[in-house]
Amino acid sequence: MEVDRADGRNPNQLRPLACSCSILHRAHGSASWSQGDTKVLAAVYGPKAGTKKNENPEKASIEVIWKPRTGQIGKPEKEYEIILKRTLQSICILTINPNTTTSVIIQVVHDDGALLPCAINAACAALVDAGIPMKHLAVAICCCSAESGYCILDPTKLEEQKMKGFAYLVFPNSILSVLPEGSSLVQGEPMEHGIITSVTHGAMSVDDYFHCLERGRAASAKLSDFLRRSLQSKLPGDLSKAE
Amino acid sequence: MDTRLANTWRLTVNEKRFIETALSSGIRIDGRNPFEYRKLSIKFGREDGSSEVQLGQTHIMGFVTGQLVQPYRDRPNEGTLSIFTEFSPMADPSFETGRPSESAVELGRIVDRGLRESRAVDTESLCVLAGKLVWAIRIDLHILDNGGNLVDAANIAALASLLTFRRPECSLGGEDDLEVIVHPPEEREPLPLIIHHLPIAVTFGFFSSESLLVIDPTHHEEAVMVGKMTATLNANGDVCAIQKPGGEGVLQSVIMQCLRLASRMASDITKKIKDAVETYNTERALRKIKRHPTSITLDGSVNLKEKLNEPSGHNVVNELSRKHLEKPRLASAENASSPGNNGEGESKSSNFGRSSRRDGATSNFVGGAASWDPYSRGVDSDFLKASLASRGTLTPKKKQQDPTGERKPNESKPEESPGDVIPTTSAMDVSETGVHKGGEKTLKDAVKPKHKRKKKAFSSTADAS
Repeated sequence: MEVDRADGRNPNQLRPLACSCSILHRAHGSASWSQGDTKVLAAVYGPKAGTKKNENPEKASIEVIWKPRTGQIGKPEKEYEIILKRTLQSICILTINPNTTTSVIIQVVHDDGALLPCAINAACAALVDAGIPMKHLAVAICCCSAESGYCILDPTKLEEQKMKGFAYLVFPNSILSVLPEGSSLVQGEPMEHGIITSVTHGAMSVDDYFHCLERGRAASAKLSDFLRRSLQSKLPGDLSKAE
Repeated sequence: MDTRLANTWRLTVNEKRFIETALSSGIRIDGRNPFEYRKLSIKFGREDGSSEVQLGQTHIMGFVTGQLVQPYRDRPNEGTLSIFTEFSPMADPSFETGRPSESAVELGRIVDRGLRESRAVDTESLCVLAGKLVWAIRIDLHILDNGGNLVDAANIAALASLLTFRRPECSLGGEDDLEVIVHPPEEREPLPLIIHHLPIAVTFGFFSSESLLVIDPTHHEEAVMVGKMTATLNANGDVCAIQKPGGEGVLQSVIMQCLRLASRMASDITKKIKDAVETYNTERALRKIKRHPTSITLDGSVNLKEKLNEPSGHNVVNELSRKHLEKPRLASAENASSPGNNGEGESKSSNFGRSSRRDGATSNFVGGAASWDPYSRGVDSDFLKASLASRGTLTPKKKQQDPTGERKPNESKPEESPGDVIPTTSAMDVSETGVHKGGEKTLKDAVKPKHKRKKKAFSSTADAS
């Protein structure tokens, strides 16, 4: 049973990915990530002195600013900021630079579905570009479940609106492409199979959700691959950042 | 408070002195002449009315959107134009969110004055129903990278996006002609704005020594200069606005010299903007033509994305035939596509005006992504190669092998301008799918070979790269 997608992809197929780093000059780290037509620009300013009032000064804190394409900043943008902040907090090593604030600024260039996953991926790439210490990277993916119980990956905006429900899932980026036997398991499952963040919209059954999780995890391996390769060219001594 | 002081950037005394001394010998720290602009690049995004301008290290994005609103009471026949500038914290660590700073407000005002007061944008044509409904055009300028001279770059971004913006066509209907029908882009081609002239802002920086002035100051020079002046002129030599907010006093003769220089710069920059917009318009027209397949897809799925629309025959024919004379590369793409696009062996120029192309409306073409999306039907391989190649390879990484079958074009920004034709592995991907022949569908398409590959790659989890 094939689900027909408007652009002819099959349900497991992601849109073309593109990632480029170090595109801005003033920012300490910057990256642009695009999945199909959705394009997001992320910039990172490295640890600045001081933390905000409600933050814990014994740890580093991360501040996320989300800039939509047009219009005022409203509730959806604030929600994205919070989700992004919590996700990034779990992957950065916060004990290294206490009492500092790292700012991550996201600029939406074009939104064609799966905006938040695109932004998370861009933010990760920008953090690496800035040299912020992290435990591991994160890859994000969007899965929707259709009425027929089918799960499709990386929907476009129209597909998102038509679907019964969709979920944004963030998985840790695996260090290895193939997990060797006996790699560190946490409660019988490799660490790479954990979920960092999951945000769902709409209603879907429990089975559908697990189905989405599996598909998402499989696809995240491909995404990790891509992310690793695009960041690999940044060898030490390779770049000289002005300022 | 301490933290904010700790985070501000200050120029050291040595740097300041170095810049000034070098300038007195006519040398600038980036090697330019005092009266030379940095490299300007104008690119456009996927949608109409979005532009990306890079002036040296300064990077600005402009988006134009339109909405139907009630007009102001004292101007019932005119549309409105509003400019919003976002000094994103991305651009400079000293920019903060929240209330716009002084310089942000000043920038917005300068760009606004140049466009509004000089009547560059024709607001009367934006009126739909006098006194009831007019178009409100909103320009959003996002400052992404502060490399100095934000005003000029922001102005160029605003102009570039205004020139490429298209608003939907409205007509009056219903009883008494009082009901306004907004035609979606699929039905009727959206219209460009009427822009009479292009006001270009040129910024000068003055330094403490007499008659030392530079054009297009960089970020460091801005920290050193003691006064600045922005002159907004158009290519006809009209002065639209001058802004000299305080600072060091300057001789009248110097001001006159500045204005003369500015008019020269303005004509240069106007030409660059117009060239970039022309290229974009050609690409856009080509894209619209591309999206007209003659044969319907096999699965007959309704096009969920924006439907194809028929370009208004005459304009496109004229535009394209002119382009063919000027640009041989585009002609080759056209040549390759016309047999595919249209099963009958007709000549190019008569293709475009045909109403029979309407039958392609239900195809499942992707909207703007047709130029590089491998999954869209009817995309010609030559055109695809050309457009993919034009992405440029700004990232050092080049993905030569694509085991997962995903397409990963190297790009840093969406580029509409054509580049050299370089064969890439992604083109190889496309040729394998076999769906890019344009109109004709074959059994191969029914089988969807590329999906098979993808499934195979997917199922093998041991696909270590």
